[in-house]
Amino acid sequence: MRDDPTVVALVNRAARGDPAAWNEIVERYAPLVWAICTRFQLSTHDREDVGQNVWLLLVEQLGKLREPAALPGWLATTTHRECLRVVTAARKSERLGTELDDASQFVDNTIIDEEILMAERNAALRAALAELPPRYQQLLAMLISDPPYSYAEISATLQIPVGSIGPQRARCLERLRKSSALAGLGDVSWTEGNEHA
Amino acid sequence: MPDGRDDEELLAALGGAVKARQAVPDWFVETGKNAYAWHDIDAELAQLTYDSDSDADRGVAAAVRSEAASIRALTFTSARLSVELEVASDSLVGQIIPPRAGTLEVHTTAGVTSWPVDEIGCFAVTPIPASPFRLRCRMEDGTDVLTGWITL
Repeated sequence: MRDDPTVVALVNRAARGDPAAWNEIVERYAPLVWAICTRFQLSTHDREDVGQNVWLLLVEQLGKLREPAALPGWLATTTHRECLRVVTAARKSERLGTELDDASQFVDNTIIDEEILMAERNAALRAALAELPPRYQQLLAMLISDPPYSYAEISATLQIPVGSIGPQRARCLERLRKSSALAGLGDVSWTEGNEHA
Repeated sequence: MPDGRDDEELLAALGGAVKARQAVPDWFVETGKNAYAWHDIDAELAQLTYDSDSDADRGVAAAVRSEAASIRALTFTSARLSVELEVASDSLVGQIIPPRAGTLEVHTTAGVTSWPVDEIGCFAVTPIPASPFRLRCRMEDGTDVLTGWITL
């Protein structure tokens, strides 16, 4: 999974000056950066600050990343460090002491590893969804909607009989599993920890 | 052949993935995309070599100054010149060392403003630019130096 060829190709293309590749990197991993800001409970202003710095740092590192495949890991640790920076600055200005005196200054690798894993898995799932024909995408979007649509609503919107929603759903998911975006993931369990997403 | 439970799990994972993306506001994604404007800028990079606010440098500052000064001072150094910066209450003042004239560009994520650098290398930027920003020193002798990103 860390050797996802898509990521390596995107990093190499962006390093050579392809803005579309850069945009795709940002689309894929902005949720990872955002999720870490959420874990730190940052204000909107601080999220903007952190987000800007992380991506600006990445632009400068593009050609220098020793392991382009490790991009999600690089993004996660850089975001974590930037979050700590703004949290520390806030504490200083509130005169709550100049030291980060609790465990928050230590990078909890277990949490970060899980965030990286989730980000890679989620990016692959979204890419797989985008590969499907529009009609399949529409059905899956209604099925995963929160709150969920009833089969009657799905039937009325997509103009398919209620009885064929189940079989179509199975076909959609089968196509999803066989998509090239998910092929790189190998055999994974889908049950672990989406609550951190 | 996956059974029904596998389908439920895959569908739930897909829902989580889509939700994680929907939670991210557009402006946050745009900020990331805009950062690419900085790719391949052909100027020499100056590194932050002194920051009065950093823990490592505070001891030095305390030794130099009789009392803890409230003015933030920063120094950026490249092979060809240094930029000394002081953050005053409503402006950013500084000097290019060794002194020479030219133009100082202040780059923020919103755009660029230009400020004159006089014969003795001094400049003033009012008001203090929004963070993060970086300075590009285009000197009359052709020296072109870019600082790292500065967040005040």
